[in-house]
Amino acid sequence: MRVWKWPLVLATLTLFGLLAALLGQTEGWWIVSWLCLAVPLLAIARSLFGKRR
Amino acid sequence: MTVKGLRVWYQVHKWTSLVCTLFLLVLCITGLPLIFKDEIGILSGTTVVPPEMAPDTPEVGVDRMIEDARRRRPDDQVMYVSRSSDHPAWFVGMAKSVDAANPTAVFKYDARTAEMINDLPQGQGFMFVIRSLHVELLSGLPGTLFVGFIGLCFVASLVSGVVLYAPYMGRLKFGTVRKEGHKRRRWLDLHNMLGIVTTAWLLVVSLTGIINTLTIPLLSMWQRTELVAMTADWRGQPLVIHPSSTEQAVETARAAVPTMDVAFVGFPGGRFATPHHYMVFMRGKSALTARLLKPVLIDAVSGKITDSRTLPWYLTAILVAKPLHFGDYGGLPLKIIWTLLDLAAIGVLVSGLQLWFRRRATADADLERLAALS
Repeated sequence: MRVWKWPLVLATLTLFGLLAALLGQTEGWWIVSWLCLAVPLLAIARSLFGKRR
Repeated sequence: MTVKGLRVWYQVHKWTSLVCTLFLLVLCITGLPLIFKDEIGILSGTTVVPPEMAPDTPEVGVDRMIEDARRRRPDDQVMYVSRSSDHPAWFVGMAKSVDAANPTAVFKYDARTAEMINDLPQGQGFMFVIRSLHVELLSGLPGTLFVGFIGLCFVASLVSGVVLYAPYMGRLKFGTVRKEGHKRRRWLDLHNMLGIVTTAWLLVVSLTGIINTLTIPLLSMWQRTELVAMTADWRGQPLVIHPSSTEQAVETARAAVPTMDVAFVGFPGGRFATPHHYMVFMRGKSALTARLLKPVLIDAVSGKITDSRTLPWYLTAILVAKPLHFGDYGGLPLKIIWTLLDLAAIGVLVSGLQLWFRRRATADADLERLAALS
């Protein structure tokens, strides 16, 4: 299960972010959407440019 | 997982990816400018926005705009009028015949002054080519359905890729991209990392893309079933040559469904109406309901409402799928995020191609080693 922890977290954030902007009735939900969808991009940036672990 | 099971999933991943990768590259690259189609339209001058006026400036009726459009193209017929969702503006679409597949001219009018502010170019320009490539590979409906097939291959490729992810990762930490060692291993790490991080987004965009490719067949199904049932009493009646006021049809529909506003009015005899009716599509006024449509049928002789229903689930699915595919529903930051995720998807495809070109003869031995690890 260890291998699935982060993929599941990122998939959940992605789906929540996609639906937040679509179903949210206020602009606050847009900001929630942007933040959630930025997390997978940060994960990519960390893998590509982060310090070696 | 057994070696046999792993080998089957590997073959599914390999062949579904090989079938769709080059086409997906075309879709990903042409998708980039489509994310910013509104901004590109304004910058290039093909989109004209009505000037700022006081918010309570009254609007004029749409009949004046239709008369103006008819004066500009006396040999054409009006196919539809539609309301801009972003600005106080109407569009009037015209063609040689009311049931033509595509308009020959679309005029944009300021809803407060009935002044024509833009003659939208039809069937030409950079964005037209990009959209035709993305939606139909420049090949009409067969091209669109082929794009849907490519989408199905991609979904199979994604699912099989997720199945293969766990055994390939072994004891590696999440997101590891090893910089040393074989180049092929570096490409594999990159492919796995980009693929697993973007899986949910890729699945949503590909599934909504597949739904979008079914727009024309599903719309045709609705016209053949529900629309026929709605207009059974008028079957066989001739086309209404001089329909009643469009403005009146708009107001009748607004009065019948006060919680919604007019999005589109199909003219009698057109693809979206009947020979005897205007078809008015209403859309909701809130962010949530603005994408959902409700058809209202207006008798084009008496001007009275004859029927109104909710759209079937399959057409509602298409309306909801569009924003989730193009990412144009959450402001400019969402469009930028969409662009970066699209670039990540291109990274998945390019790294997948690299793995194919650098494939080793020892692939079977690799699979046995991975099966032992998992």
